[in-house]
Amino acid sequence: MITSIAHTTIYVLNQEEALDFYKNKLGFEVGDDMKIEGDFRWLTVYPKSKPQTQLVLAEPKEGPMFTKDAAEKIRSLIEEGAFGAGVFETGNCQKTYEELVAKDVKFIQPPTEQLYGVEAMGLDNSGNWFSLVQR
Amino acid sequence: MATSYKFERLNIGRDYIANNYQAPLSLSGIAKCSYMSPYHFLRVFKDTYGETPNEFLIRLRVEQAKKMLITGDFSVSEICEQVGYTSLGSFSSLFLRQVGVAPTVYRRKLWALSGEAYRFPSQVIPACYAYNFLGKLAN
Repeated sequence: MITSIAHTTIYVLNQEEALDFYKNKLGFEVGDDMKIEGDFRWLTVYPKSKPQTQLVLAEPKEGPMFTKDAAEKIRSLIEEGAFGAGVFETGNCQKTYEELVAKDVKFIQPPTEQLYGVEAMGLDNSGNWFSLVQR
Repeated sequence: MATSYKFERLNIGRDYIANNYQAPLSLSGIAKCSYMSPYHFLRVFKDTYGETPNEFLIRLRVEQAKKMLITGDFSVSEICEQVGYTSLGSFSSLFLRQVGVAPTVYRRKLWALSGEAYRFPSQVIPACYAYNFLGKLAN
């Protein structure tokens, strides 16, 4: 039986800028930030109350995973807003939304009643969509 | 689980630990930052984050020590001091308990695995990522 998700990837345009966004705007904590041989930066963040689930902030770069062309396409798709970063939960959507707006986080939908709770939709600084949900 | 307001107060205490983990910290001092009694802070912290403030503090210190052991040429005594411990013996046995090997053994093993000086070897990250980003398969 699989019991939880330990790591999931969010592709970002610039790791340093994404780190600033997720840490200083969304209030996440840094899990790992280490240089791996070959100059690869392993960078993870997590919401304070859930250290068990780490988001890997990775840049699409030419390498074993992507050709140069594929990496450029992914970067372009991120900029176009083609990817979602996931659903972030909060105890109070309206309040968190206001706090994040005050920190210049962009939203494309304000808090709205949905069947499953109150949800706002925002963008990270790379262009990835995320939902902010209060259940 | 803490209410939204209590969660914010808890986060202040948690941030205080994260920002001052190198210094001697007391539960009562940290709890004061969150405007809670030590016992209440301890209970709500554990309920909310799944670890006690002390477990969180130890985790931060050990993670920092691991980084310093690999990415620098510091002695174990220097690392011990810089991550907030005054007794080398206590630090070494704590590291052994948390990581499974003594600090010097940890350094020796990881340096031997890494092909590059002062870099973590690919084996410290999940194999699927090591393969995807570095083209390395686990041994």
